[in-house]
Amino acid sequence: MISRRGFLSLLGLGLAANLLFPGPNRSFCASFPQFFFTQLKYRGGEWDPNPQFAEAIIEELELRTSIDILKERRLTTLSDPNLFFCPFLYMGGKYGFEPFTAQEREILRRFLSFGGFLFAEDAMGAKGFGFDQSFRREMKQVFPHHELKRLSADHSVYQSFYLIKNIVGRQTVNPYLEGITIDQWTPVIYSQNDLSGAWARDKFGKWIHECVPGGEAQRSSALRLGINIIVYSLTSDYKKDLIHHPFIKRRQPTL
Amino acid sequence: MNLGQIEIAPVYPLWLILLLLLVGSLAGMVQYRLVRRRLGPYQALSISLLRLGGISMIISLALNPSIAVRTEQKVYPPVDILVDTSPTMDLPGHAGKGNRLDEARAFLLGGQNPLINLLAERFDIRIFAFDESFRSLGKEELTALKPGAKRGDLSEVLEKLSRKNSSAVLLSDGNFRWESRHSRSGPLIIVPFGNLESYRDVLIKAVKAPALAFRGREVSIDVAIRSYGYNGLVLPVLLKEGNRLLTAKTVVINSSPAEVAVSFSFTPEEVGQHNLSVSVPPQFGESLASNNAVHLPLSVVRDKIRILMISGSPSLSYRFMRTALKNDPSIDLLSFVILRTPSDIMNVPLQEQSLIPLPVETLFSKELKNFDLLIFDNFPSHLYLSPNYFGNVREFVREGGGFAMVGGPNLLDEGRYAGTPLGELLPVRLTGKEDYRRPPISPGVRLTRAGAFHPITRLSPVETDNLSIWQEMPPLDGINLLEPKSSGIVLLESADWIPRPIVTVGSYGSGRVLVLATDYSWKWSMGMVSKGKGNWAYLRLMERMVRWVTKDPSSDFVQVTLPEKVGEPGKESEVRVKVREGDFSPNLGGTVSFSVFNPEGMEIASRIRAASQPGEYLCSFFPEKEGPYKVKVETPLGDREEVIFIPASGVDLDGAPNLDLLKMVAESTGGKILTQGTDFLKEIETFAGKGQERLLTERRFPLWGTPYILAFILAFLTTEWYLRRRWGLL
Repeated sequence: MISRRGFLSLLGLGLAANLLFPGPNRSFCASFPQFFFTQLKYRGGEWDPNPQFAEAIIEELELRTSIDILKERRLTTLSDPNLFFCPFLYMGGKYGFEPFTAQEREILRRFLSFGGFLFAEDAMGAKGFGFDQSFRREMKQVFPHHELKRLSADHSVYQSFYLIKNIVGRQTVNPYLEGITIDQWTPVIYSQNDLSGAWARDKFGKWIHECVPGGEAQRSSALRLGINIIVYSLTSDYKKDLIHHPFIKRRQPTL
Repeated sequence: MNLGQIEIAPVYPLWLILLLLLVGSLAGMVQYRLVRRRLGPYQALSISLLRLGGISMIISLALNPSIAVRTEQKVYPPVDILVDTSPTMDLPGHAGKGNRLDEARAFLLGGQNPLINLLAERFDIRIFAFDESFRSLGKEELTALKPGAKRGDLSEVLEKLSRKNSSAVLLSDGNFRWESRHSRSGPLIIVPFGNLESYRDVLIKAVKAPALAFRGREVSIDVAIRSYGYNGLVLPVLLKEGNRLLTAKTVVINSSPAEVAVSFSFTPEEVGQHNLSVSVPPQFGESLASNNAVHLPLSVVRDKIRILMISGSPSLSYRFMRTALKNDPSIDLLSFVILRTPSDIMNVPLQEQSLIPLPVETLFSKELKNFDLLIFDNFPSHLYLSPNYFGNVREFVREGGGFAMVGGPNLLDEGRYAGTPLGELLPVRLTGKEDYRRPPISPGVRLTRAGAFHPITRLSPVETDNLSIWQEMPPLDGINLLEPKSSGIVLLESADWIPRPIVTVGSYGSGRVLVLATDYSWKWSMGMVSKGKGNWAYLRLMERMVRWVTKDPSSDFVQVTLPEKVGEPGKESEVRVKVREGDFSPNLGGTVSFSVFNPEGMEIASRIRAASQPGEYLCSFFPEKEGPYKVKVETPLGDREEVIFIPASGVDLDGAPNLDLLKMVAESTGGKILTQGTDFLKEIETFAGKGQERLLTERRFPLWGTPYILAFILAFLTTEWYLRRRWGLL
């Protein structure tokens, strides 16, 4: 049986050793499962238009897919040194935001060029307003040689889990997604249909926003599209492997 | 000497010389008249004639008179005697008594009046022998003449014979090299040896085969077989690898001589150097057996590394690995990702899903052998594979396939691998029920002693840089808790209180196995990117894992390049050794050793020396005879063995007398083939006489250069001076 004095001595020694010999850098993302939402905070505008969006899509992912997922979202900024350990980045907003600094743009370019993924969406429900303008401006700065383009109907993001035909969100501003594609990989996907608005629900489980014009069927499509985007971020263009082609062709003969 | 031998060659125009003589004569006449007035006519005449004689002689020197001496010499016509000592001259001759060279020797030296002596009396003869070398012989050396090891080149020989208008006598069976580029004027008189009627042989005349082939792709080998004296023979043709028969075909010989073609096709299954051979069995009464087989070194490489990857769920680990593998153009990746488990709910009809069933039966029963590497990435195999398929995977690895397991919660399938064929081939085992941990404090990683030098984890050639790279790697958020088996080699372990293997390699049968016990290796990519160092270390790690586990030769420490054209017994054979660039410390230079073992397994003398590039060596040895020679390179970083097959001399030798070639040579040189019963001496005289000539030599002795002429001139002038003085004219 150790005496109280002995215990305190050992405790003191332990604390001293910890101060003198700190352990290795501890990871921000320690104990994280393979997938976790990380939402980007930025200056100006409204970085979090649908604060309660994550729960429903996480639940859907858990119910329908084999993805090991963290049931909460994390927040980060472009100046956060741990940004690179959060390869799925969500960025939403309604209004225009302050331009990124040159260093932030460089970090974002490096992040996206070497494996990071950004899903951005305009929650305004209208084209060409604040967030849309600011986001397009920033993408032009980050990738001056790559344009934000409409993703074709046979893009892997529409086939990664569900075979998506209706590209919708809370609203249907654009019946398509846009993206920046580098080689065979699209590290930036952009929606203007307010997907997170369709996913958002209150603490009692009630949907916060109505989906127009398609109602609950539209919400269901929005959830499916969300799952596809997340699965795409984890599998890339895997569905383009030849073995999948005949199956997809049979189920989507129009492609 | 007579006056007819005197010739002139005027140095000035003749008219000028005559004019001078005329002027001199007129001057003499004027002098005579002047002197006659003072002395008498006889004295004046004496003085004038003396002067005229002196002047005339001086002027006549301009005619450049000389005495020409001509001699005539009879020249013996030159005749060169060429004795072919190519190896086929060692084969039986016409009568079957002795070989063809013996017959050629008897032709020159035989009988009471040897032909060589008769020729020497009538001609200016030189004797030469040629095979791979060309040499001059004395008459007495003919008796000791022996066939050489390689056939000679008659075109080169004739170019070296530089005597003008000489004839040559060739004693040969026609098995030399010949290119009709020669423009020699002398005729070649040919005496053929050997008898095609009685010659019996079967040989591999030609083989058309690639030196490089791709694994799994059919290779065609076309063989031409020639035979002499075996009309009606049914002949088996064998394609072997070492002593193992790959395939055999039968050909029928329908005439003599005859040439038949046969084609083989086979599909090499293993990467590396293959020693193939095409052969026909020796036949009764065959003159040459060494030409019945041809050895074909075949280097087999992959066109692409084919990988089957099955991932237990969509994950960052999968996506980063996929990107790395897709980034390598030499890799052909087929991957399946388990997007949903049987317990997940699917709320839409099949037509709206992109999911496809995992074709387990097709992949694990039929197609597995078509892949080089199988990867289970956090794959809960018990949900999809029956134990029978585990057995197939074990056989796949035993036969040379690669198998890798990538970590995650399902790496070891909750211990279900224990006791299964899959558990048998893994280089690790579970430590307990808990096989995966996401530790609260993420551990970093560190290289083990083996990992510091292993090609997988040696990301930088400089050891200290390599250690730094791994120390800089970000910590892992999840690792599998494993223990290495005694057969496993841990390359990378967690920098923990209790180190856990992170990268472990091992072998099973002919295949290799690798376990990467984490699903957070993607952090090694993004961690380095965050520091601005790019993702090269991660890409290199993935590439090296794949190449090592698939036994790609480029991942070996020691690479041995065999010679494209192997040598022959008695000739130096050389191999090039490369200790992998960057992984070689100069301090190890003295410890690279090279050994060669002959077909009986005995070590023979060999030599190793540094090549121009660091880490490269040239190793050589002299094989004593034909057969497989094992070469072994030992370095502190690893060993390598290869086998070089040294073929026998005369492998492609066609020993049949080639009368057609002899005729062609004779025609192209304006010569003739002399057959038995011909009066050889007369025939040779006929041809050699065409070049006979009388040699006329002429020597000229210029008169003006002789002292007598000078003395005459001086005598004329001095006498004239003396008389003038005596008679009071001076």
